[in-house]
Amino acid sequence: MLHNQHSFVIPENQGVIELVSSLRKNFSVRLLAETVNKRVFYDTFDWRLYKNGSVLEQHNEGSSRKIYWREGRQGKLKIQLGLSKVPYLASELPAGEFRQQLHSVISVRELTPRVRLKIKRQSLAVVDNNEKIVVRLYIDKYLYQPSKTRAARALGNRLTIVPVKGYADDYSRVEASILEMKLPPAQDNMMKLALVAKGVSAGEYSSKLNILLDPDMPAEQALKKILLRLLEIMKQNTAGSITGRDIEFMHHYRVSIRKTRSALKQVKGVLPQDISEKYNNFFSMLGKLTNPVRDLDVFLVQLENYQQDLGSAAQQALQPLCEHLMQSRAEAQKKFVEELKSAEYRENIKQWCNYLGSSEKSDTPAENADRAVYKLADELIWEIYQQALEQGNAITADSKAKELHELRKTFKKLRYLIEFFRSLYPTTMVREFTQALTGLQDNLGELNDLDVHAAIVRGFIKQCTDEKAVKACKKIIKSLKNQLHKTRSEFAACYADFASADNHNRFREMFIDYHASR
Amino acid sequence: MKIIAIYNIKGGVGKTATAVNLSYLASLDGANTLLWDLDPQGAASYYCRIKPKIKGGGKKLVEGKIDIDEVVKGTDYENLDLLPADFSYRNMDMFLQSTKQPLNRLNKLLGPLAEEYDYVFLDCPPSISAASESVFTAADILLVPTIPTTLSLRTYKQIMHFLKQQNTGHAKVLPFFVMVDGRKKMHRLIVQHPPSFMPTLLKSYIPYASEVERMGTHRAPVAIFAPGSKAAGRYQSLWNELRPQLW
Ligand SMILES: Nc1ncnc2c1ncn2[C@@H]1O[C@H](COP(=O)(O)OP(=O)(O)OP(=O)(O)O)[C@@H](O)[C@H]1O
Ligand SMILES: [Mg+2]
Repeated sequence: MLHNQHSFVIPENQGVIELVSSLRKNFSVRLLAETVNKRVFYDTFDWRLYKNGSVLEQHNEGSSRKIYWREGRQGKLKIQLGLSKVPYLASELPAGEFRQQLHSVISVRELTPRVRLKIKRQSLAVVDNNEKIVVRLYIDKYLYQPSKTRAARALGNRLTIVPVKGYADDYSRVEASILEMKLPPAQDNMMKLALVAKGVSAGEYSSKLNILLDPDMPAEQALKKILLRLLEIMKQNTAGSITGRDIEFMHHYRVSIRKTRSALKQVKGVLPQDISEKYNNFFSMLGKLTNPVRDLDVFLVQLENYQQDLGSAAQQALQPLCEHLMQSRAEAQKKFVEELKSAEYRENIKQWCNYLGSSEKSDTPAENADRAVYKLADELIWEIYQQALEQGNAITADSKAKELHELRKTFKKLRYLIEFFRSLYPTTMVREFTQALTGLQDNLGELNDLDVHAAIVRGFIKQCTDEKAVKACKKIIKSLKNQLHKTRSEFAACYADFASADNHNRFREMFIDYHASR
Repeated sequence: MKIIAIYNIKGGVGKTATAVNLSYLASLDGANTLLWDLDPQGAASYYCRIKPKIKGGGKKLVEGKIDIDEVVKGTDYENLDLLPADFSYRNMDMFLQSTKQPLNRLNKLLGPLAEEYDYVFLDCPPSISAASESVFTAADILLVPTIPTTLSLRTYKQIMHFLKQQNTGHAKVLPFFVMVDGRKKMHRLIVQHPPSFMPTLLKSYIPYASEVERMGTHRAPVAIFAPGSKAAGRYQSLWNELRPQLW
């Protein structure tokens, strides 16, 4: 079986025929069939398996299809999945340990084929004096074929010894005699070789902004660079958003839209007014289309947790809610996709891309266009930071949800500005700042989610005629309220952590003193 | 894991041929399959070219003192493993009686294999004994090859009667006709008008065919050495009919 098989590289100068005849000196070797097999390597768009150091591969051998998940380097078998098809999502698998394991690596991301190989296999068998097969040998020639019409590229030959259960002694003897040939051991790097042949480098995708700015760059140039990077992320996530199976594509797409809008609005007086307005409107419209889809996605993921405390009868009763939400999601997704596929959308994106890519200056540059970007960044961030503190200090135990909502938005703006301009500050300062923000932002984010989710359930109750479902929904609302209460009560502490004197001094140093002392 | 026992009190009715061919076809589906040769004669082991011998002996195996996994052998077919026969199986009843729960014994022995195998086929010796009762308890399906003659139908009735009396296990009993010889009038009549006491009779039947006899010289399932033959086709139909009953 696969987990204790042993593979070797057959060097280019080593003839396969000699290899077989040298085996025949000691063993009775039969040539079996020659077959052509296929191997497909899967990963998520952002290479989560690769980064986790594992490989998920589908072996097509004759009519059989097997799926293996293995540790990357030694090719050690993690799991042979009893599946004939790679699932798109971990959630499609039956509940159990494997689903959990896979989910912990790829989360909600979709698995897609990343590279395909063709393998020409000559099977051999060592037989005993009953002509019974006691050890199997495969000589595999790996090929990467870019397309049907283009020539395949050879990636190398491998020899694999596969034990037959119950014939361990025979296996050892064959293995020993092959080890004597001093063939190098095969590391399981076929996926890498194939990706190199395909011209793709694994692990390349990142949804991080990673924008490198020169402090003295004119602000206009810097802002265009930021916006161009955001547009790039949007484009990378467009196809996946349209498919809509992997909800992270839409999420990244949407976050980029929000950041784009934030950049257009917060980084004031840098782009010409008409441009800012036009694209702010365009992206605002897009953003609105994503809202219901994302809200429902998050809710549906959370719903599993909400249901857990309910007991199976209530869970059953919630079926209509699930169906309703799926339906709403599908409708919202459809509208969103229609927009993404429209000629108008494409035209707008093209123009936006052209505009951002041109180095042409406008005849009437905006007031801040030529300022050094670091000065503008210091000012903008400090201003928003002040505003955040002002709003935050005003929050009391009696404050309305609306005020917290506004505060959340202000902190988001602050966070985005830091992301845009992070290369202008020392890495440790940025890290400390984001760390200080994280606890508070999580708290505010959770409050918002709970609010949105309660509103979704209430909306459903209004139009639901199924009494059992309504009753179960009310239970959920109750539990949402409890959670809201709890999260709300934690706000003060989260905020106090952030607004500590220590942090304040740190931020002063970062945004007021750091560039001044240059 | 589903356990399929191929059983008949009568000898020489094609149990082993059925077990070998069906288990091979199951493995072709990609299912991990184990064939357990329970007959001291070791005919199934012979067909697989594997020595009918258990290292440590059949007694220890039955008593659970040997890890089954240690004595299983891979066959020449990728997903098919064999648990070989051992001559000492002729004392199977004695072995079983010395254990605590003889009826449950096979079930218990097979338990740990559930992770590894999708199907286990039991090739049973022809008899009615403590061993067969243990088989009835373990099996999900009792496949009964039956020759379409009045005498064989009587045997089938006896088996059903016995199972009813014992009231052990949960096995679905599925008879099917074998060695059907179209030249014989009685065969034709019975196959065309099966008796009412066989409501679960499978539609597929295995004709009398020389390819099946030739399994002994080729030491392989029919589909290997006579892939296009009528017999190969019939075993495939039988498996196709049986497969959905195992879900
Ligand atoms: N359909 C068939 N057509 C022709 N010959 C057959 C057929 N099925 C089985 N045989 C032959 O009949 C003999 C008995 O078959 P097999 O060994 O499969 O029966 P069995 O029920 O397992 O016997 P036992 O009770 O001795 O274990 C063998 O020689 C076999 O080749
Ligand atoms: Mg037999």
